[in-house]
Amino acid sequence: MNDIGEFTLMVALATSLYGTVAYVMAARGNRIDIYLSADKVPLITWACVMISSIALWKAFFTNDFSLQYVYAYSNIELDYFYKFSSFWGGQKGSLLFWALILTSYMIVVHFQNRSKNLIVVPYAMAVMLAVTCFFLFLLNFSTNPFERIPLPPEDGRGLNPLLQNYWMVIHPPTLYLGYVGFTVPFAFAVAALISKNLDDSWIRLTRKWTVVSWFFLCMGNLFGASWAYVELGWGGYWAWDPVENAAFMPLIVATAYLHSVMIQEKKDMMKVWNMSLILLTFVMTIFGTFITRSGLIQSVHTFDEATLGYYFLGLLFFIIVACTALIISRLPLLKSKNELDSFLSREAGFLFNNLLLLGIAFATFWGTIFPIISEAIRGVKITVGPPFYNQVNVPIGLALLALIGIGPIIAWRRATWSNLKKNFLKPLIVAVVGGAVLFPIVPLSSRSEVYTYITFILCFFVLSSMLIEFYKGTMARQASSDSIVGALGSLIWNNKRRYGGYTVHIGVVMIYAGIAASSSYGIHTEKRLTIGETIEIRDYMLRYEKLAAIQATSVKTRIIAQLAVEKDGKKIWTARPEKEFYKGQNQPVSEVDVRSTLASDLYVILADFSEDESATIKVYHNPMVKWLWTGGWVIALGTMVCAWPDRLEQRRRLERLKRQQIVFSPAQE
Amino acid sequence: MTMHFKKIISFLFMVLFFTVVSSGLANAGAVLSDLENQLMCKCDDKCGKVLINCTCSTADKNRKKFTKMLESGLTVDQIVQQQVEKYGETILSAPSKNGFNLTAWVIPFGAIMIGGVGLRRLLNGWVGKDTKTEPQNSNEPELGSEKSSETSSSKYSRRLKDELDRLET
Repeated sequence: MNDIGEFTLMVALATSLYGTVAYVMAARGNRIDIYLSADKVPLITWACVMISSIALWKAFFTNDFSLQYVYAYSNIELDYFYKFSSFWGGQKGSLLFWALILTSYMIVVHFQNRSKNLIVVPYAMAVMLAVTCFFLFLLNFSTNPFERIPLPPEDGRGLNPLLQNYWMVIHPPTLYLGYVGFTVPFAFAVAALISKNLDDSWIRLTRKWTVVSWFFLCMGNLFGASWAYVELGWGGYWAWDPVENAAFMPLIVATAYLHSVMIQEKKDMMKVWNMSLILLTFVMTIFGTFITRSGLIQSVHTFDEATLGYYFLGLLFFIIVACTALIISRLPLLKSKNELDSFLSREAGFLFNNLLLLGIAFATFWGTIFPIISEAIRGVKITVGPPFYNQVNVPIGLALLALIGIGPIIAWRRATWSNLKKNFLKPLIVAVVGGAVLFPIVPLSSRSEVYTYITFILCFFVLSSMLIEFYKGTMARQASSDSIVGALGSLIWNNKRRYGGYTVHIGVVMIYAGIAASSSYGIHTEKRLTIGETIEIRDYMLRYEKLAAIQATSVKTRIIAQLAVEKDGKKIWTARPEKEFYKGQNQPVSEVDVRSTLASDLYVILADFSEDESATIKVYHNPMVKWLWTGGWVIALGTMVCAWPDRLEQRRRLERLKRQQIVFSPAQE
Repeated sequence: MTMHFKKIISFLFMVLFFTVVSSGLANAGAVLSDLENQLMCKCDDKCGKVLINCTCSTADKNRKKFTKMLESGLTVDQIVQQQVEKYGETILSAPSKNGFNLTAWVIPFGAIMIGGVGLRRLLNGWVGKDTKTEPQNSNEPELGSEKSSETSSSKYSRRLKDELDRLET
């Protein structure tokens, strides 16, 4: 099976190379015969990559340690659940997994579009196949997952204990689905540039891909945070690690794109800008891969054998140069009649939103590469950690939060004072009243706490502005509906993008509130306890009951501390934090125990223990962490609404185009 | 009423401004977590984590050492300085705010300011283009128009439903 896997990888490379060339030839020469031949390539390439992937999975499940990759990331004792996820636990498998997702997306695009837009689609398929070629080239010639060991060992080294967590099965695939997904809008953007088909058709063809990829990237980031929270055992969820930044930056740039593209759809403006943003988003996804695989930047996420830096650097350089040249060469065609009625308009709001989002992305990028710049100029590789990102990004993030509230309620084209007053007064009153109520309650002794207070005020403002929008729309529809629920349902159903977007904003507000509260008001305490002793934090008292050792497998020993948690004299929970010792690993792994409610998390760590059964227990009280995860599910709901097929969309578009012809007279036919 | 609205906005901004300024003055106290936030973990595994985020045995030893140092009367700044002298700048979790490192802090905000000025100029040009155009009805029915709330009349309800269905997203 390994031979078949290796062979199909080679076949996949050959067919994707052929497909790239054939699609371009078919489009340029208008050759239907070549097009029909190229049309079979996506399916063949996908099938080959799928066979290779199945071969690798089989090697993991059958403990085939003749494969160097299986030996390095698995062992006999490893749970099947983690044998499945070991596939993407290392560099080689993760690249194969990337290729698998990319080719899977490619066949979906192929079946979705093969009878549509025969000018743009062949080029888009060629671009996607070219990207596939790059990954398949690496898999075949640089980092082959089917590399053999001449004398296979009896057992493998095993998977890194930190990766033996259920989030490992969920987080990387989610993130990859987002990363890889942006290849589709990128491919269509490049195809539009090459074919000079520069109306908004490429945007419409890829809108759902962009929304879905954004969603996966967003959830991938949140799942990663969740993984860090329960697995790394330091009480936090985000450390501004370079690789976390690498996943965060494309998300932020894609968010800017999702907003600015609305202006192009509505007013046929900002074509160059939108084109640049989607190209930048794709560049950022490759940059993330470059960071993880180059070994250039120190991070807990980088792969052990980070040797592919130059390949990815080359790809980045090629994409940037080629796309910039392509955009410059198409500038006359990308010219649009940019005009605004007023500074006080939603269009201007979107532009400022773009400025702030790109500001955050740039600050994060700058912080990520600054150690390299410092080393090149001064010879000192300094560290840029959380204090930098928090000080730089928090003020920008707050301005962005304010814009999240302002954007949806400011009028398109031109807002008058009376219009502003009408739409803003109520949310402002809610914000002021909310701020006044919180003022005596929340501590304001540090800059961080004040930022949190401001965040809460802005959250009140944004949340109320969103809810008022829902309320007004529902009330307007109530006359034609039987009930309020029916009116609300009808409102959302008939304006999916708009109200789905508002729902996403509500989720974002919840995340802001969760981050603000947990990073400012969290406290922790640590104490060495003997059996029967207690440790207190806020209203909770934890009584240390016992310490147990369990030999879970031949390579894993679990040491579990049991603590009874009491609140107001009543036992409410039993905490069982543990330390896991793996054979051959220097450091034990902490498995924290968390009691999570919307108000706060009680996060218990077994920091240390000794043979006399005394143990050092560390307890964190983290307020509102659950708001982050709940906000994530609200975002998921909003995205689902946004991405739901809309039968009214085409009708709206035609009407909009009709109006644009009357009012704006498009610059380009 | 417009003046009243402007006053509310001004008041809100003033409250926020003074709260931020006063907080900067009120911040004090040398605590272990401040120190842990400023230093990187220096373990053999080169974990690359800030000390406060690290759970390895070296980090635990250092925490105990720093607790003792704080108890002995040393300030956070003094301990940080000691660590920099011992390990160099790489021990710091963020660039210092002097010399070349200052660029790390200034450039992001500088970029946003330049972007903001550029955007302002761009908007000036775009808004200027449209001065001859008469102001259009700027509000979407659901956002600002008073007409949208006049839905009680059954005569208009069907038309309203139709228009709402066609509302731009």
